[in-house]
Amino acid sequence: MSMLCRHILRRTAIAVLTVYLIITISFILVHVMPGDPVIHLVGQEEYYYLLDNDPVYLERQIERYGLNESLPVQYIKYLKSIATLDFGTAYANQKPVTENVLKASGWTLMLSVPTWLLGGLMGAVLGVLAGWKPGKRFDKIMTPFFLVINTIPANCLSLIFLMFFSYRLKLFPINGMVSAGTEGIGRLFSILTHMCLPLFILILFRTAGDFMLMKSAVSQIREEEYVLTARSKGIPGKHLLFIHVMKNAMVPYLTSFLMQMGSLLSGSMIVEVIFGWKGMGMLMYNAVQNRDFPTAQLCFLISAVCVVASSLLSDIVNAAIDPRIRTGDVYET
Amino acid sequence: MKHKKKWNRAMITGICIIAFFLAVAVLAPLIAPYDPNEMIRGYLPPSKEHILGTNDVGQDIFSEMIYGTRVSLYIGIFAACIVTGIGTVLALISGYFGGVADKVITAVTNVAMAVPGLPLTVLMVAYLEPGKWSLIISISVTAWTGTMRILRSRVQQLSQMPFIKSERALGVSPAVILYRHILPNVKDIILTRGALTVSSAMMTEAGLSFLGLGSVTEKSWGGVLHYAFFRNSILKNQVWWYLPPILCICVAVLGFMLAGYYGQRKKA
Repeated sequence: MSMLCRHILRRTAIAVLTVYLIITISFILVHVMPGDPVIHLVGQEEYYYLLDNDPVYLERQIERYGLNESLPVQYIKYLKSIATLDFGTAYANQKPVTENVLKASGWTLMLSVPTWLLGGLMGAVLGVLAGWKPGKRFDKIMTPFFLVINTIPANCLSLIFLMFFSYRLKLFPINGMVSAGTEGIGRLFSILTHMCLPLFILILFRTAGDFMLMKSAVSQIREEEYVLTARSKGIPGKHLLFIHVMKNAMVPYLTSFLMQMGSLLSGSMIVEVIFGWKGMGMLMYNAVQNRDFPTAQLCFLISAVCVVASSLLSDIVNAAIDPRIRTGDVYET
Repeated sequence: MKHKKKWNRAMITGICIIAFFLAVAVLAPLIAPYDPNEMIRGYLPPSKEHILGTNDVGQDIFSEMIYGTRVSLYIGIFAACIVTGIGTVLALISGYFGGVADKVITAVTNVAMAVPGLPLTVLMVAYLEPGKWSLIISISVTAWTGTMRILRSRVQQLSQMPFIKSERALGVSPAVILYRHILPNVKDIILTRGALTVSSAMMTEAGLSFLGLGSVTEKSWGGVLHYAFFRNSILKNQVWWYLPPILCICVAVLGFMLAGYYGQRKKA
């Protein structure tokens, strides 16, 4: 058991270090890019305009971001602002950046959590069915179908759905999250109809990805010698599948399923923009468009922390369920 | 080539699609009836003069699409070259030499894998000046990890093989072993991974340009789609404006996917 503890401690330390590195990289990104950082902050055209017409405002911006201080001082200040989660106020609505991000992440989770769970479940079930009997009819229909889904960019599929279901058939609203002036049950219903289409698209993509994973895991394991042995001993197919094959196929699948938690907040940007869903992706998109870099940076950092945390979690779970990792037999960094 | 017999229909379809788009890209000035930047009259429906009509500022959409092929393929292919190049070099070094080099490269890979791809790309494109190369750089920054990990484990396997071990014992220089003996053995993986990387880079590019982060003067397919969507062509039912870029992106991505995916399966 101490082996497991040491493993977890080691991995946690690496994860913390990774987060620190990403924070530093994101600092470097602003300050080491060629050109005055204030140009990046206000935009090039705006910079020259302000330089001619309103140098006082420009001066205030430089002060606001502390750009007139030395780099180490700026770095310390930057770290402090992250430690206290204080990113100042957003230009867009004069509210604290952190508050905006929290609100947006709630909306995004409404889409991404069902996607993660349902997509994971459907991908696994379909993948097992296709991988257990490769080359049979089910596999021959499902595999090309999901392969094609995997090659369609999210924005293209979203637009096609939008055109067909919202515009032609008028089944779903075209844009937004909730109709104005609805309350109580009506409001809930309105949100549900608004999220139908984006949710369906996200689930479809996730199912396609998970299907491929599960299918390849199952079809590899069924070729293993121990499965052949079990089969030759006369163990019936269902028993073989659920007891012998699934047990081993679930390990890599669970790993990537847990890893997908990392993209819960950042994985739906394009779909959000198309459907006007005011979540994290939309927030970051607007922030970049309006050159509101504190907001964009916070969105980026939060997504990065999510990715690191979920890969740490999947690592720990993996070590806990797979004795080979625990005892260090297959130790690989 | 002795692999020729193993080529299957899916792969040939993929290669035909790629060849078609490459030809369009190279011959763009000959095919396109108008200069894509020339402004004629806005919102013209399709007609004999303008097969796909004109866009909001009066540019011929068909010509835009033809020239867009150039931009989209350019970004996809160059990004894939950089990604595959970085991945291959790092994989050869870390897989063959092991030790400290391997530790350092693996650590860097792990950090790069922890960075969320699309948000970083969006952030970087915003910092860099808009243009083809800033898209290429931003796409490449995080995309090389997959190629690197697959190749590294293959190179590690190869390094343990008798013929490489005996060459090492004979004192053949590492550069020669890597270039003459290991590289040819991973060539197939590099090519198939490269084709898959082109398709994923083109998908990312389509997404970024669609979000309006692409170059303004040289529109890619994603760029055409950006203007189509944000000028409400869907509400106005201007099928000729938003459908062609969608089809082109999907078909081109599918082409590289088929070439890569089925190539990989046959040779595995």
